[in-house]
Amino acid sequence: MRLVRWRQSATAVLLMSLAACSAGSGSGRIGSGVTTTPPPAVNNVQPVVMDYGPIVNGQSVGVNNSLYTTVTICVPGTITCQSIDHVLVDTGSTGLRIPASLVMLSVPYLVDTGNNPIGNCVQYADTTYQWGPLVKVDVQMAGEVASAVPIQIISPTNFAAAPASCSAGGTPAQTVADLGANGILGVGLFRQDCGSACATSAPPAVYFSCPTTGCITASVPLASQLQNPVWMFPQDNNGLAIILPQVGAAGSVSLAGSMIFGIGTQSNNGLVGAQAQGADSGGDFTTTFNGIAHSGSFIDSGSSGYFFLDSSTTGLPDCAANSHANGFYCPASPVSFSAINSGPNPKGTGVPISINVAFSIANALPLIDSPSVVFNNIGGPNSGSFDWGIPFFLGRTVFVGIEGQASPAGTGPYWAY
Amino acid sequence: MRNELFLLSILAMAASPAGATLGGSAESVVADQSNLHAKRAVVERRGYTVHEISRDDGTLIREYVTPAGKVFGVSWTGPTIPDLAQLLGPYNTEFQNTLRSKSARRKVAVVRNPDLVVESAGHSRAFHGRAYLNSMLPGGVTEDAVK
Repeated sequence: MRLVRWRQSATAVLLMSLAACSAGSGSGRIGSGVTTTPPPAVNNVQPVVMDYGPIVNGQSVGVNNSLYTTVTICVPGTITCQSIDHVLVDTGSTGLRIPASLVMLSVPYLVDTGNNPIGNCVQYADTTYQWGPLVKVDVQMAGEVASAVPIQIISPTNFAAAPASCSAGGTPAQTVADLGANGILGVGLFRQDCGSACATSAPPAVYFSCPTTGCITASVPLASQLQNPVWMFPQDNNGLAIILPQVGAAGSVSLAGSMIFGIGTQSNNGLVGAQAQGADSGGDFTTTFNGIAHSGSFIDSGSSGYFFLDSSTTGLPDCAANSHANGFYCPASPVSFSAINSGPNPKGTGVPISINVAFSIANALPLIDSPSVVFNNIGGPNSGSFDWGIPFFLGRTVFVGIEGQASPAGTGPYWAY
Repeated sequence: MRNELFLLSILAMAASPAGATLGGSAESVVADQSNLHAKRAVVERRGYTVHEISRDDGTLIREYVTPAGKVFGVSWTGPTIPDLAQLLGPYNTEFQNTLRSKSARRKVAVVRNPDLVVESAGHSRAFHGRAYLNSMLPGGVTEDAVK
């Protein structure tokens, strides 16, 4: 089945010629005595970058600690495609979201069983939100193609306005300037943005049915929800690894790395020495700091710093409330910390896996004021838990094990590093 | 040093108009609960009362009420962020305006104004946060009560 689906895509066939040399292949065995040759390994290495970001009105948006990649979207089954650079790589959400102003493809809005367009709302911890309909596109990254993936078109002018339950209390982040990116690529631990909760009921402010009379909350089957494109690849679909070099204490103006699809599926994505720790149904695990366990902790490439605990627990002074470093810590000199992340073994057996993590926090204000935009040492308060943001990814290979997908480390959701 | 815990009641309420919450009267908690289509439990603590509102989607909202019947704090945890315009009432405007004046993108949202404190954190499928008013903390109760 997978081979057939692969060959149906003309673009994919073109890309196959670019594929990296086959690795770890050889003959596979089906039944007894019947052998078949697997398809050649596809290029699974997608470049990522941290830099000044997309250009708006002739100027870079210049958002600190943003991880970007270029995504190609196509009208399903065709070679009518467009590439979109500087899409934010976010392991804290699921699904591809592109501002309507950037989408040049002509694709119809997804409709529900009542033939009404489906509206989707996503809200973030910083209380920003995005609203818009879904469309299906083929999503290409490196040599990988996910076919007919539901993605979100953010706030098209010809679509219903955001329902109050989506917009009330929050702030829209729907333009390139407000996003600091040309879209968001959610490649977190889950297959869908909402999952079974939205398939079996209609939680407020996620999915809506949008007849002309107005949008109302609705349940949406799993297959019609926003999808993590990686799990829809025909191969290399059990997760991904984000690999970024380390930077110095003064930060850097740019950084190049890679996102490798699949875990243990090719010669370039083995776990090597990485340890895998499971996450709970919400994607969280426990971080222990100074002997106190903080559940509700998580890893998130879409968070711009290490956000953990509070000033009184860490001894780190908050940056002045009236400064543009508000929300970060501003110690007089750098302070080193260590903490222990723990979660169940994704293989489902044995003792929980604990991984020690060392990190350092410097004064965020002069760093943010400097020309650098890549930092491994900025952080801020987050009462009662740890948000291991993009600084955690620097100098590491971080594997994202997708829920329900088997791998040499076990079955997702898990992190490995 | 154990807190006294009394589970007073678990109620399921019919729909009624929404009310303000943070800084509002305890009656607004009931209005809030019914607006959220949720179940409520009331827990007595030393010096204050906690109304726990459990929503069908797994979101747990706590509203902290003074002996005089005023909501001095709220907190939330769950797969979605509650409607902050409803939960914070008039204070959400102050929260949002303060956030907008900062470079608040893609980090934990923290506002520590002289009276109003709000923290919003988490990621898709797992959010948490809290808000309280310094001026309304009951005597002997610290901000750590709101969690």
